Amino acid sequence: MASSRDDFIIAIRSAFLKKSTQQKFSLLTLVSISIFVIVLSSLDFKVIRYLKIGINEVVYRSSFIVSIPENFVKNTYFNVAEYSTFFRQYKNNKKELEQLKSKDISNEIIQYENKELKDLINDYVSSSDKVLAKIIVDHESPFLKSVIINKGSNNKIKIGTNIYDQSYLVGRVVEVNYRTSRVLLLSDLNSNVPVTIAPQNIQAIMIGAGENFGEIKYIKDGIFEKFDENSIVYTSGTGAIFKSGIPIGKLIQRDKDLDVEFFSDFSQLKYVFAEVETVLTAQNNIEKVEDNNDQNNNPIDTKIKILEDEKKIIEESNSKFKEENDYLKIQINKLNDEIYSYKNEITSQKEKIDQFFIDQEELEFLRLNLLYSQKCQTRKLFSTGLKVGTPEYKRCILNRGKLND
Amino acid sequence: MTRLTRKTSLLKIYTWFPIILLFISVLNEFDFNYLNLKYFSFNFPFILIFFFTLKEFKNFDYFLVFIAGLFNDTVVGLPLGISSLSYTLICIATAYIRNITIRPNPLKDWFYFLFIISLINSLNYSILTLFFNFDLDLTSYLINTFFTFSFYIIFVSIFKYYLKGLND
Repeated sequence: MASSRDDFIIAIRSAFLKKSTQQKFSLLTLVSISIFVIVLSSLDFKVIRYLKIGINEVVYRSSFIVSIPENFVKNTYFNVAEYSTFFRQYKNNKKELEQLKSKDISNEIIQYENKELKDLINDYVSSSDKVLAKIIVDHESPFLKSVIINKGSNNKIKIGTNIYDQSYLVGRVVEVNYRTSRVLLLSDLNSNVPVTIAPQNIQAIMIGAGENFGEIKYIKDGIFEKFDENSIVYTSGTGAIFKSGIPIGKLIQRDKDLDVEFFSDFSQLKYVFAEVETVLTAQNNIEKVEDNNDQNNNPIDTKIKILEDEKKIIEESNSKFKEENDYLKIQINKLNDEIYSYKNEITSQKEKIDQFFIDQEELEFLRLNLLYSQKCQTRKLFSTGLKVGTPEYKRCILNRGKLND
Repeated sequence: MTRLTRKTSLLKIYTWFPIILLFISVLNEFDFNYLNLKYFSFNFPFILIFFFTLKEFKNFDYFLVFIAGLFNDTVVGLPLGISSLSYTLICIATAYIRNITIRPNPLKDWFYFLFIISLINSLNYSILTLFFNFDLDLTSYLINTFFTFSFYIIFVSIFKYYLKGLND
């Protein structure tokens, strides 16, 4: 018994401490270093943070280069898959584009109105610039859903910066290096987003499912039936982590769960937009204007400025309405022309029908004439009949030979 | 003379191939995740490290394995040191099994591998959830362990060909 324990201890000691000729470090040293690094990481130690940033810069670039062959295979695979559904997608896109075009004009007007109202209620106005960023590492780990982009603190990216695919929300930045950043995707288990479900206007929290969809949590009981397939999920802006009104996805009901199908396909991301924000209050805006222009010192000037802006917005929307009106006028003219041509057609058809009825009546008269002319005609000896060609004669024939009605 | 030098350098690359493959796999994470097969994932570095440290392959330096772990943490987005610890623990486990084994048996190695990766994945899961407050899906971990275990035997047969080619 004692001997087997000794053997175990010897084997363990040997495993930890023995270095073969090729090894520079014993395993015990490496385990100790690993634990030391983990402890320092958990304490968010400065040295480790800088070490990590240094490694990140090198590793992300290396990873991008190493991933080129795999990305080539991956892209080829997706391209082939895309081509097979190309025509169907094209048709759907065309249809969708037509719908979107019609919505676009009204959306622009709403945006102007929204901006104007925010100015008026002294809310913050965020002048945001969207920076295009390329995804350099996208490994889709089964445990963590994140991507690396090629923009970092030198491009004013901060922790929490919102990341978009077109105008759809993709995630937010959780780690910033000098030239790269890590984006935590909405599908990650650690991602929580305060959302609004429209058109029911219900507030909830969306949590990443670890798959390519999100889950709606913390919702009031008994309102499950209220939702339908047209429900859209967008950010509510609660907690100021994400801006409000950014579309995320469509609501899907699965048994008793509410899931969110993202508008953006996270596995297909190549380029994204990082929103670099500079938040200015409306008051600050006014102060800036005051500094720049001495003539704008009194509040009346400011008011005039606001009114001028308002006028500009109204003029712009008016011009849009004018364009729309012109378009509608052309449409009306076209329709009038069509109506006129249809009317002409109807008249000619009516004439034809009338002629047809006349012909039919004539035919009927001739047929009856053959049968009843003897009865209605004037006889030489006894003048009881009617003269051929008179209206009375015709009436007699049509009455099938009866002289009186 | 030139041909001889080229041959020597090719042989050098060939002997360093496992460690190069380890670095490529941690930087690239090739695990076919883009196929979007639900739950499908496996940990190739675990298989590679386990096999080559078990065979005490001469160019498989522990320090380089440790560095590969740091790279893996950076790529995946885990706290620094987690993968290094996992990889080093595999090295310890293989060193131990080498010391206690007189007659190696591939089947025993295979199940020993299952035991080790389960232990390491449990340790990883515990550290990440307890100390770093990560939300992780346990099912994904279990399935990852299962596929890593299943693929071990396939990769081992490929690696054996490699070793055979090196000896020849």
